[in-house]
Amino acid sequence: MSWQAGVDIGGTFTDIVLVGDDGAVVRRKVLSTPHDYSAAIRDGMIAAMQEHAIAPADIRRFVHGTTVATNAILEGRGAVTALITTRGFRDVLELRRLRVPELYNLSYERPAPLVPRRRRFEVEERIDAKGRVLTKLNVATVKNALQLVRESGARALAISLLHSYANPAHELRVAELARRILGPQIFICCSSSILPEIREYERTSTVVINAYIGPVVHGYVKRLQAVLRDLGIPAPLQIMQSNGGVLGAEAVLEKPAYIVESGPAAGVIGGARIAQRSGNANVVTIDMGGTTAKASMVEDGHVTKTSEYEIGAGINISSHLTKGRGHALKLSVIDVSEIGAGGGSLAVVDRSGVLRVGPQSAGADPGPVCYGRGGTTPTLTDAMVLLGYVNPDGIAGGAVPIDANLAHAAIEREIAKKLRRTVRDAAFGIYVLAATTMTRAVKAVSTYRGRDPRDFGLVAFGGNGALMAAQIADALQIRRIVVPQMPGLFSAFGLLIAQPEQEFTQTLFGRTSGVDSQEVEAAYRGLEARARRALLQDGANPDMIEVRRLADLRYSGQAYELTVAVPEGRRIDPRDLAEAFGVEHQRTYGHRALDEPVDLVSLRLQAVERVKAGREILPTALLAAARSAGKPVSRAVYFGPEHGELPTPVISRADLSGAARSGPLIIEEYDATCLVPPGWSASIDPMANIVLSAE
Amino acid sequence: MKAEVDPITLEVIKNGLDSIADQMALVLMRTAYSPIVRDSLDYSTAVCDREGRMVAQGLLTALHLGSFPFAMRNLIERWGGRMAPGDIFMFNDPYGSGGMHLPDIYVIKPIFHEGNVEGYATCLVHHTDVGGITPGSIAVHATEIYQEGIRIPLLKLHDAGKANETLMAMLGANVRVPHKVLGDLRAQLASVTRGEQAYLDLLRRYGPAALARYVEALHAHAERVMREELSALPDGVYEFVDHIDGLGETPEPIRFQVRVEIKGDEAFVDWTGTSPQVKAAINAPGPFIYSATYLAFRCLAGRDIPNTEGYMRPISVIVPKGSIINPSLPAAANARGITGFRAFDAVMGALAKAVPDRIPAAGEGGATNFGVGGVHAGEQYVFAETVMGCWGGRPDRDGIDGASNLAANQSNQPIELIEAENPVRVVRYGFVPDSGGPGRFRGGLGIVRQYHFLADEGLMTFRTDRRTHLPYGVNGGRRGSPCINILNPGPRHRLLPVLPMEGYRVAAHEEFCHVMAGAGGNGDPLTRAPDLVREDALDGKITAAYARAIYGVVLTGRERTVDAGQTAKLRHRLRSARSELIALGHLPFFRRALSEMIASPIPVTSVALEPAVRGPGAGKPRPKPAGARSGARRRGSK
Repeated sequence: MSWQAGVDIGGTFTDIVLVGDDGAVVRRKVLSTPHDYSAAIRDGMIAAMQEHAIAPADIRRFVHGTTVATNAILEGRGAVTALITTRGFRDVLELRRLRVPELYNLSYERPAPLVPRRRRFEVEERIDAKGRVLTKLNVATVKNALQLVRESGARALAISLLHSYANPAHELRVAELARRILGPQIFICCSSSILPEIREYERTSTVVINAYIGPVVHGYVKRLQAVLRDLGIPAPLQIMQSNGGVLGAEAVLEKPAYIVESGPAAGVIGGARIAQRSGNANVVTIDMGGTTAKASMVEDGHVTKTSEYEIGAGINISSHLTKGRGHALKLSVIDVSEIGAGGGSLAVVDRSGVLRVGPQSAGADPGPVCYGRGGTTPTLTDAMVLLGYVNPDGIAGGAVPIDANLAHAAIEREIAKKLRRTVRDAAFGIYVLAATTMTRAVKAVSTYRGRDPRDFGLVAFGGNGALMAAQIADALQIRRIVVPQMPGLFSAFGLLIAQPEQEFTQTLFGRTSGVDSQEVEAAYRGLEARARRALLQDGANPDMIEVRRLADLRYSGQAYELTVAVPEGRRIDPRDLAEAFGVEHQRTYGHRALDEPVDLVSLRLQAVERVKAGREILPTALLAAARSAGKPVSRAVYFGPEHGELPTPVISRADLSGAARSGPLIIEEYDATCLVPPGWSASIDPMANIVLSAE
Repeated sequence: MKAEVDPITLEVIKNGLDSIADQMALVLMRTAYSPIVRDSLDYSTAVCDREGRMVAQGLLTALHLGSFPFAMRNLIERWGGRMAPGDIFMFNDPYGSGGMHLPDIYVIKPIFHEGNVEGYATCLVHHTDVGGITPGSIAVHATEIYQEGIRIPLLKLHDAGKANETLMAMLGANVRVPHKVLGDLRAQLASVTRGEQAYLDLLRRYGPAALARYVEALHAHAERVMREELSALPDGVYEFVDHIDGLGETPEPIRFQVRVEIKGDEAFVDWTGTSPQVKAAINAPGPFIYSATYLAFRCLAGRDIPNTEGYMRPISVIVPKGSIINPSLPAAANARGITGFRAFDAVMGALAKAVPDRIPAAGEGGATNFGVGGVHAGEQYVFAETVMGCWGGRPDRDGIDGASNLAANQSNQPIELIEAENPVRVVRYGFVPDSGGPGRFRGGLGIVRQYHFLADEGLMTFRTDRRTHLPYGVNGGRRGSPCINILNPGPRHRLLPVLPMEGYRVAAHEEFCHVMAGAGGNGDPLTRAPDLVREDALDGKITAAYARAIYGVVLTGRERTVDAGQTAKLRHRLRSARSELIALGHLPFFRRALSEMIASPIPVTSVALEPAVRGPGAGKPRPKPAGARSGARRRGSK
């Protein structure tokens, strides 16, 4: 029997999910090893394979989600990097877009540029917006700059010249000279290869990120490949990209910036698949763990993507208004709105007498007060223990013991007394505020884009997602929630659902009225050929490749494009493009301008390899494992002033087989808990998902 | 019905209101047509309650925030009780309608729920052009508002859901780029419509009575927080004077005199003594100065205060009628931004005397406005942008090199987009070494932006400042570096004034180089950590010679190693040789660095030595601060 492995690295845990051809599932959660993440993968894989007598040679697919690129940036552990720019513009990287992400803060500190000024060098050359050479590349200045790069001790070099998206010749020439002069041990990349798009700061920042993490990712990928080889696992290493597709290891080595948001992407992909298969193709996914919550929108079964992303921004609410916290990364990323609300979020009453929850987090150490590891500031988890949502005896099957008395004392001291409320009211307040913050994240991916959340279902996962889902759904009048299997390891599962994907774009700027259909068709064909070639290089089955044509358009003069699908197979009529754009504009912004000229900006081609079926997990295996033993349990749970405290049955997922059950209910599992308040009912669908419906 | 206010629900509703204002801002940005909106983000959105009081504001241009109260009061006075569902109002006129200057067009949509007006969705956008004597409409040399473009009194843009085509046509015919202006106006309509929908959701959820009660509680909360902040300031009278350099080739300083009295939990801000209105477009109608004043207090508070009108209640402001900060018809106002920036600087300077350990030195002095337009290849073009900025040295850290002004959180425009869309090239954009004000924590560096014109003809205008009255330092930190404007850098260059009283005809391949003022420093430069000096030297932000002369830090070799022994000796010597001249000793370095950079000699410009905020010892009420006199102008050293 052959197996597929999904391995997801998080800050605390490394999650491993193995799925066999017959639907069998093996799960494993091991502590991450930050000094060398591949160590935990090796140990976890060995244990999982031994336990279930799986031969390494039977592992035919290995998909990996990793935070190694992100962490290199967040922790400042990237390579010493140099930057070469057009003369007169070496400070573009540091000047950024100037805006500060918060008003009124006199102590604001902007993130330091990944390449300090001392390693930013200029060369004489100039190309204009049409790609015409105004000043020829002065090779002497290039050689001089390269000499300085060498002396600076840089291990990586980013090259970003003005208007290189229109004509990359000068960048390519600098790269060629750099390779010759600096040698192969220096990681070199051009902005026009990573992101051939207009806007110099964003393009420069993106290529700098690519260079900065290049050597780190390179080392990591090589180590991991060696681990797989040593274990005798024949599957090629595949890595999740930020856009939700899977990329072969060789492609990652060239464009490491593509895997920066590898982690959150997998869960959304998994959520999209669940949505498709459960017959509701429009959902918002909510992934809530210990420190943050992430929301993303899936529409017609497609994940939504953005290229307005910042890394190191801490919290990345999908609103562009808070830009400026991190480093711009203008690559296609699954549009995830992230806010600082998780189980470990700290609850405090500030000096204005206002209760706040997050974004500061107690983290893994000391963790919530109730863990008894020295925490004194109450957290959301402490509140949920007091409310009866979280098992007061312990979580993860008792692996993490809980002391509810500590939680009670902390909330009384820090919150209840200051607000002059009962402890229970204070705890419920913490819960409601956390849900409010998350509601805003859901709005950021739905209503902010003109989508009505009432038309969507929720897919909730992560350790805490299913505890908050009903509260969020109530606020947004969402009537259906799906809690997938293995909610706490869902990202690892999502990796196995993700498909190998390559996306290529080409700027083709001009009024739609003047578009030459043949030119567009030829451009799409060219992009498709490149995408297919790239997939085949990664070992894709040519018969399983599907392509999707997209185009980015805007009203002439606007700065932000909308992406629309371009049907294949018939002659491209520019009027259809303009019309499709108008419809999308109406939908997103509530208006369209019938007489305004529309510009085509870029063509986009997505090619995916449809991973063949048979990798779906059979629900029976999971349900068997999840059946609760012993006699029925119940505990007192508080559902707010409206319902008060109710005796609430605590059941397992498997107990839901059969008829739907009305709330209040608590469904406890090894890796997560699901809360079903009064007014909601729970049932189980054929794929063993829990489905909550508003009654 | 119990009328209790639950603190949790209050926070939930505040969150909901903020999210409406943000959402409106997002819709506006994504659908706008002109770069000044979509890239510079020179616009604001706000949600107002049924009384017209602001309850939430999008995270945008801070200097707009105090302007909505005036606009809303006027609207309700004129139209209260006579509005209909589907009405949308529009205006820009500062005289009688509550506007600030003509380019800022307000759009306001009353929100009806069960037949009553329960709130307002509002936004204002700085439009690329509203007509007038120069492209971009920011002509400093306009002497009356009638030269500045189309004046729109409070009118209905939509009447009960029906678009006012006459008004749109009238507007379109009076601006140079109707395509952009009407496009942006459509974006404003989309924004207020989205705001209306979101506000209706809140109304449906909580009901009008409960929502009104919670909104009231939000105002009260904001007021209480501001009163607590004011109570924490030492009681006393704090005065400060700052200046705009003045107009044209022979500038007369324009005085900003502010007296801030802190008394218990209230603040009284009196601008009496500020210069009278001028025959140029830098007069700032009252609302703008209120904004600048509130803003300074908000920054000082340094904590999360809801963006509701309540926090303004404990702050009283007096703006003398007929002054540059409260002009009378027909004073021109389109370039009034600079006046708001300077008012903000002045209040911050006064507050620095109350709490010297909490206030930064002055920043670059406000956004530069630059515009050029004309006819190129048979088509009308207008290119306009704002340029910023750097922050002054702070009590515990350096100012920022390259950040929006605190009062106007705006972006730069991507050079590649500018060049793709306009007959203009940007040939240089970066820091000027040895600029800014030295200090224990130094001011941000000056920024250079140089344009190369490609059109056969163009009319260039700009609005800059801070060449003579440099950004002030605090606590012994030194003044920043001056603003320099040079036409055609090189041996035959021409130095242009900061606030020219004319537009300049520029031909193809002429160039204009603008250098913003560098920010002021905080604390004695001779106490700056030598390692920080070394880091700046390694980054080429200062030269080794500057490190030695200004900071007394001796750096040696390629690695710029600090020679501790020599540094101690040198610092000792410099300490004993202090004089006012040394206070400007950094300026020759700046001139040298800039002239090397742009291959053009930089002339000595005059510098006014007063006022600078003198360090500790402030905090006590002073009868008359030394900084209140001005005009002691002197040549810059050497």
